[in-house]
Amino acid sequence: MDKLKEDKIIADLLPQEFGKQGRIWVICLLFFAALGVFAYGRQLYYGLEVTAMRDYASWGIYISNFVFFVAISLVGSLITAVLRLTNVKWSTPLTRIAEIIAVSAITFASLIIIVDMGRPERFYNLFLHGRLQSPIIWDVIVITTYFFISLLLLYFPLLPDLKIMIGFKERNGKWLQKLYEFLGSFWKNTKAQFKITDKAINILAIAIIPVAFSIHTVTSWLFATTYSPGWDSTNFGAYFISGAFLVGAGGVVVAMYIFRTHYKLEKYITNDHFDRMGKVLVLLALLYLYFNFNEFLVPAFKMKKSEEEHLLGLFTGEFAPIFWFAIFTSMFIPIFILLFKKGRRPLPAFIAGILVVVGSWFKRFLIVTPTLLHPFLPMHDVPANYHHYIPTWEEWAIAGGSLAGALLVITFFARIFPIIPIHETIIETESLENEKHF
Amino acid sequence: MPHFLMAQAVEKNTLVLGVKYYNDNNAAQHLVISAKSKIDGKFQKIGNISVKVFITNDSNKNNFIGAGITSERGEFILFIPPSAKTEWVKSATQNFIAISATSKLYEEARAETTITKAKIKIDTADGKIVHAKLFIKVDTSWQPMAGVEMVLAVKRLDGNLNISETATYTSDSAGAISGEFKRDSLPGDQKGNLILVANIIDNDVYGNIEAETIVPWGKPLVYTTNYNHRSLFARRGHSPIWLELLAYGIILLVWAVIIYLGFQIRNIIKLGLD
Repeated sequence: MDKLKEDKIIADLLPQEFGKQGRIWVICLLFFAALGVFAYGRQLYYGLEVTAMRDYASWGIYISNFVFFVAISLVGSLITAVLRLTNVKWSTPLTRIAEIIAVSAITFASLIIIVDMGRPERFYNLFLHGRLQSPIIWDVIVITTYFFISLLLLYFPLLPDLKIMIGFKERNGKWLQKLYEFLGSFWKNTKAQFKITDKAINILAIAIIPVAFSIHTVTSWLFATTYSPGWDSTNFGAYFISGAFLVGAGGVVVAMYIFRTHYKLEKYITNDHFDRMGKVLVLLALLYLYFNFNEFLVPAFKMKKSEEEHLLGLFTGEFAPIFWFAIFTSMFIPIFILLFKKGRRPLPAFIAGILVVVGSWFKRFLIVTPTLLHPFLPMHDVPANYHHYIPTWEEWAIAGGSLAGALLVITFFARIFPIIPIHETIIETESLENEKHF
Repeated sequence: MPHFLMAQAVEKNTLVLGVKYYNDNNAAQHLVISAKSKIDGKFQKIGNISVKVFITNDSNKNNFIGAGITSERGEFILFIPPSAKTEWVKSATQNFIAISATSKLYEEARAETTITKAKIKIDTADGKIVHAKLFIKVDTSWQPMAGVEMVLAVKRLDGNLNISETATYTSDSAGAISGEFKRDSLPGDQKGNLILVANIIDNDVYGNIEAETIVPWGKPLVYTTNYNHRSLFARRGHSPIWLELLAYGIILLVWAVIIYLGFQIRNIIKLGLD
């Protein structure tokens, strides 16, 4: 490949400073994050009393948010590992987007768990006195492990790009230059170094799949090992993983559209990428729909007395509007949009992605809270508000703040590092040209 | 008077009071006062009924021995107080009267019971034989009483279990009954102790009389605990070995990979510096 083309790719893909839109976006996110921090300050001062969580609904939108973050983080393993190991080349420009979504989501999944604790200063006891038999400990272990694997999977492919960026000293500025040099000044593009990174990435791609499956299966077991209506299911692990792949893929489509539009990356994140990701989304939505049928149709067919109240609450009762909203927005409508070729163009695919992500967040809420409000033993002698759960403004602010925080991590990452791998793009363009030539 | 005003007059239900006498182990004599009423064609226990209790008769204020309010189960227990001793020792028979106060729902109700003082002595002999003797008070002395149905039983958690297939025994001219204990291998306390009882239940003349004795005829209870056993439900540090091997094996394997990759980064750095 000639030098001109290579320079063009580098120029296109180098991280760019925030424009006016970018600054407004960052200010908005900082505002929501600060609001979340303020609300958390109130929660620390006054205790969990500021939330609407009580004896029965002891898991509210914090845990829904946690499950959502864990779910969306799985996309790292889907795009980077599964597609890489199956030798799918078109996903290369999407790998870093998927990995940074995974890292930021898993970071905030860990933080939101601490937020849910009434006494966060006792968090270390989980490590000192945790029971190995408890799924909560398994979750702590796999989340920590997944975080480090995702971080490594983000770092290894970044090394050649760091070398490229170090070359733009004047453009980078003092601090960024220092950061790049700290992270990758030792990278010399030698064959031996490439050999090690290729091997490392392959090992990581293999290792991350079982860890990713574990992380969400274990999260599902937090619920499934508890004997409650709606959670007492052997289907939960597969149900959670299929839902996680769906929301993760939806998140990637949304991020693809935003990066493509904002950074003018149409040549790198092409219509073909949206078309292919659209098809992946349809497949995943159908898979998740299948598990939903299993999860709701079978218990509803039997309609055991003890589960009746919970199921009817979802289908026709208090939670019906959210339930049907989640089912339609996360599955039916995206499938309908993306089944058609025109629906897999960037804008409709972006809309479908947004629907999947929003619907999936509410789906996580429906998995967590309604069950707690319908225990097997009837509620007796409790205040009227214990029968319902309406999150307080502090809970909304903290949940919103954590989402804003995760988006801030992705935003700043894209500001500092190339969101599309530069070196891999050059290599692939080169090999494509060679194929054409021969 | 207009008809609608007449119709407002509330018809009160009839309250039925009951008084039962109990003598447990010849030590703690007490009364159980109960209240019931027919509601929707069925007798139902009535709670929150205030009842005063008298000994001998209710015409003398000094005969008042106590008061109580019936519980949700429609009864309360009243131990005969030491202040009733003067009346208690006067006669071999004893009268108890319970009177409820008038309330919005019930008219005043009254119940009375007369008992002849009696006591049971229980003893055992070799071969796991249980003997019991019934005495009743005649004037100032205790005399054996024949022809009264009695039960020999062993105390269990939810009630009494007869010591053999024989449900009841009738006292002979010496007021005695005897039966063989045939409940082998019955769990007792840690020393194998069982509580044997001889009693008369709801007798019209004597009330409820019971005597107890402790015998080492049971199977000693060996206290077992799974507190130190390894299981999925045990405390920290007591997880099953298979789980520990599996979990630590997986953790070690995965973290070995992560550490190995850390060394690979070091190798890359070394190559770059060379």
